[in-house]
Amino acid sequence: MSGDLTLYHWEPNANSGKPMLTLVEKGVPFHSHYIDLLAFDQHKPEYLAINPMGTIPAMVHGGRLMNESTAIMEYVEEAFPGPALMPADARDRWRVRWWMKFFDQWLGPSLSMLGWNVGIGPKVRARDPDELKAAIDRIPLPERRVAWRKAIYGLFSEEELAESTRRILIGIDLVEKTLGEREWLACDSYSLADINAFNSAYFLPISQSEHCNDEKTPHIMRWLRAIYARPAVKTTWAMGRTAMSDRIKIFEGEEVKPW
Amino acid sequence: MVMTLYHGEPTGPSLTVLAALFESGLDADLRAIDLAMGERHAGAIPLNIEANYSVEGEGPVLVVDGEALCDSVFIACYFDDVAPGSGLRPADPYQRWEMMAWCRWMIERVAPGVAALANRSWTTPRLAALDEAAFAAILESIAAQDLRERWQETREGALSDEHRAASEARVHEATKKLEDRIADRDWIMGDFTLADLESYAWIAPMRELLPDAFVGKPRLAAWLSRVAARPSVRRALQQARTAHSAHGFAPGPEINRWG
Repeated sequence: MSGDLTLYHWEPNANSGKPMLTLVEKGVPFHSHYIDLLAFDQHKPEYLAINPMGTIPAMVHGGRLMNESTAIMEYVEEAFPGPALMPADARDRWRVRWWMKFFDQWLGPSLSMLGWNVGIGPKVRARDPDELKAAIDRIPLPERRVAWRKAIYGLFSEEELAESTRRILIGIDLVEKTLGEREWLACDSYSLADINAFNSAYFLPISQSEHCNDEKTPHIMRWLRAIYARPAVKTTWAMGRTAMSDRIKIFEGEEVKPW
Repeated sequence: MVMTLYHGEPTGPSLTVLAALFESGLDADLRAIDLAMGERHAGAIPLNIEANYSVEGEGPVLVVDGEALCDSVFIACYFDDVAPGSGLRPADPYQRWEMMAWCRWMIERVAPGVAALANRSWTTPRLAALDEAAFAAILESIAAQDLRERWQETREGALSDEHRAASEARVHEATKKLEDRIADRDWIMGDFTLADLESYAWIAPMRELLPDAFVGKPRLAAWLSRVAARPSVRRALQQARTAHSAHGFAPGPEINRWG
């Protein structure tokens, strides 16, 4: 099975972490292929030969390529046996999809804009300028070229960053309210929505520590710790290769560095 | 289970949901509302976090036993979950992945462009004709600030040259992708699915505003005719209450804030 299934991923974080944690929760063996985002491995010819979009993650199963992390999660749930990560009730399933889209398209871009601005951009900015320019020119999707250019050269406007912060604070409020009403994000059982959201939300007590903490958002903290306690999370985060994957130790009560 | 579908004119997301309902064979009480006059927020619909923060903006709402469900693709998935065998989604997990990834592209990349062009042409004059008090009353009823801002921009007719060009490029990209996709098949996934409805609902209204995007694409023209001839789509189009029902847009999804 594992020879047949390969996941191309970066750190257990955001989009890469979604299919990683889903596969581990399902107990599906897979060949893990680490792509170093900060070295622009995802835009190199050998990876573009596998995923022409040059995005991570991507999964190859039975010789067929899949991208779009959330769509991959639903595929893993449907194609393999293992513990159910989608609820049986149709309305619960609708809520799982709604919350994944909220994280993917409304909250996610704001979280990643701030993360790229203070984390990823400065990490790669120190490289040789010609190398960086060549790396940007190789990016296949035009919108990703724009995003990388902004991240690398710190071109996000004050308005963009302020709007991202505004949305993150609203997102924290909406998630806190929702988790005040039910144990898990979308329904009464752990689901793909929790896996999707955790991969961004685990960072909130670090990046937004003033707004996301035991005092102000007890339900979010309870939920994050419940997910962190799952063995699959330990296994998944052990696949990280950089200090980023140590951030999760905040749930052990350790002091962690954001970047 | 009691279902009430609050829908706008049969165009865009309301067309997808109406036709998907008819494909599923399920029963719902149909309530036509004027989305561009803010009737989604007028009090009849029990708006929840999900409906207030829907990434789709002013789309149709399905109320099931008192809970509001939104986002056209996910409402259609809900119908398919309740009525398995509707054919709205393929049965094979890989084909499902492909269909969900296609719909995600349509929702995230194409729909915001279509919404921007359609609203500028057809919704702006309607909102501009409202007096200040009437428009202020609509704004006051809307929970999400970014959605309120899209309403204001629509009323002002604010569509920059850059935003217009990006929106038009998305429509051109979509019609070309459809023309290529239909080369060896009648429907996007081979068999008819939700992908055909979602794509038709956003693309068909552009024939009037951006005819250039349809020139020299005979397969696209034939596909548009095939979709329009489906009994479910004909019945959905019969729900029209105005002479130009394709114009019945309302502030919808925003263009992805960064890449």
